Amino acid sequence: MKIQRDFLTAYELPRPARLASNLYAACFPLMKLLPARYILERAKADGKLLRCGKVAETTSGTLGLALAMLSATEGFKLTLISATSLMDEPLMSRLRNLGTHIEIIEDPVGSGAQRERLTRLQAILEEQPDTFWPRQYDNPDNRLAYGKLAEWITRAFGQVDCLVGCVGSGGSLCGTGEFLRDLFPDLILIAVDTHHSVLFGHEPGPRLLRGLGNSLLPANLHHDLIDEVHWVGALPAFASTLQLYREHALFMGPTSGAATLVANWYARAHPDAKIVVILPDEGHRYQHTIHDRAWLAQQEGWPVRLPDAPVTLERITERSESEWTRFAWARMPRKTDRRDIDSS
Amino acid sequence: MIWKNPAALSEAGSGVLGIGDGSRLQVGVGRAMGHHGELLQGVFEGEDGRLLRGLVTLPLDRQQSLATFWPRDQGEIRARPPDRKKAARAAALTLAHLGFSRMAGDLTIESDIPVGHGYGSSTADVIATIQAVGSAAGVALRRSTICRLAITAEGASDAIAHHDQAVLFAHREGKIIEHFGGELPPLIVIGIQTDFSPVDTLTLPPAHYDHQEIEQFRVLRGLLYRAVRQQDPVLIGRVASMSAHISQRHLPKPRFDQVAQLANTYGACGVQVAHSGTLIGALFDADQRGIGTHIARFVRALERNSLHRITAFTVNVDGGILS
Repeated sequence: MKIQRDFLTAYELPRPARLASNLYAACFPLMKLLPARYILERAKADGKLLRCGKVAETTSGTLGLALAMLSATEGFKLTLISATSLMDEPLMSRLRNLGTHIEIIEDPVGSGAQRERLTRLQAILEEQPDTFWPRQYDNPDNRLAYGKLAEWITRAFGQVDCLVGCVGSGGSLCGTGEFLRDLFPDLILIAVDTHHSVLFGHEPGPRLLRGLGNSLLPANLHHDLIDEVHWVGALPAFASTLQLYREHALFMGPTSGAATLVANWYARAHPDAKIVVILPDEGHRYQHTIHDRAWLAQQEGWPVRLPDAPVTLERITERSESEWTRFAWARMPRKTDRRDIDSS
Repeated sequence: MIWKNPAALSEAGSGVLGIGDGSRLQVGVGRAMGHHGELLQGVFEGEDGRLLRGLVTLPLDRQQSLATFWPRDQGEIRARPPDRKKAARAAALTLAHLGFSRMAGDLTIESDIPVGHGYGSSTADVIATIQAVGSAAGVALRRSTICRLAITAEGASDAIAHHDQAVLFAHREGKIIEHFGGELPPLIVIGIQTDFSPVDTLTLPPAHYDHQEIEQFRVLRGLLYRAVRQQDPVLIGRVASMSAHISQRHLPKPRFDQVAQLANTYGACGVQVAHSGTLIGALFDADQRGIGTHIARFVRALERNSLHRITAFTVNVDGGILS
């Protein structure tokens, strides 16, 4: 038990990379290990999760993999609920080999079937009431888990002027950002989202770039922490992911590409600021998609020229998958409908 | 060296020196400084992943405890002043540790550290005593040994045995959680006593921190490491202020907000507190140009606000900057 804990405790932390003279990256193999461990440990301490107990979550992403790794080493019985449109075969195979039970919901429309997945989860929780549900979108422990990242950042870089990160649940950016802003009130927080995600006021729709954005509004996203929002389309995110590998040998996933695109732009515009960007996972899962030129060539609009700068929006609106936009959010609370407010 | 009784070796732990007759003991003197509370206090993850209560002490070397130990062949340990029972106990423990468990002696404590405000007077007495007994035996005790003996004598300790090094110290276990790898950067501290009634620091109930605070302590620990490595007083101030703010939720100090605001106005890096005491300290960067003027204005502002119990001292400043 102790030895396994030591390996995953080391594996859950990022490595530093310097992307520019004033820009540092926190490169995670699998960032979601941080919230997965913290949430499971708190549940165990509070008696909500028993020894060898049951865990269930609806996820198709890296949180599922992190839960599966910890369930394997800690002896939990994990059920993940995903949809046909979301689960790729390599990930499915890894999860199964870790002993995870996977339930797949039919999803002919390709919307992600979030509602149907939640219905199935509710049924499991009713059938087996001793099952623990991590609830990454709304569980505040998701945010608290990022005290470790904030510590890593202060230890390595001291005072930071700007933190750039993707938003899906809001846990990593708002968790890390809040801990750092307690110490440095002037810290700029930049959220990276994608078109047709509802997080900052887009209409929901199909999204080619996965691993960030959301079709629901999670409680862990604290809008009033965010200074600036960027919506990066899938194509510039893919191109930036390849560039990250080509220029820095950083083999990362597409959300890392999106975050790096934004962070590089901010770093060029603010040469005296010290900037940290969060890169959430590695590229292995995307070896046969984003890191495969044949797959990329089949994507509509590819190849895309990487824009030097985003289009600044006066009014929040969706754009195409080849575009990159930004809006000065200015720490507004979540209830405000940004569509009715012009940027100053 | 002759062993009267081979079993004495194991009984005395590492008591490898003593032969029980005290012929090797002479008069010994030890000295330890007080402190001005802490730069950081909270709970922190130890090496095994468990949480430990820990602190980073702000040393105050102007106020010291001086212990003198005269060995005697028989009787018991007699302390002067006689109320220094923990120091007397520390003397007995140290004698036993060194293998002189049948020895006794007279212990005199001379200290100018005020009692009961968080200056660490009791721990300074205990540490000075342990060093005095060590010196009586002609031994320079290791810091880790001194801390362990102090914990046994007193129940809790502070990091003053590691006075010149910045360490995160588990004050109930008496061991270092993290060594930050150097000294604190040069600081000038303006200390304010906001409450005149002393508190019994050892009987205070331990603070119960919530999960958010526990994670905040983690971040403060990281920043303090960076501050020591970079010798950055501004970052030290950030850490201390945040720790003091958290402490206000558990043992509030009267007029803390007012002092913190004045400190900010007059260019301090931050404020620190004695987490189990009545002291507040404003931290100034000793190397900043014109810092004397800022400090003089700050002190006048304190006095205008009827805060008159003011002291000034330096940490790791070369030369007499305050003269």
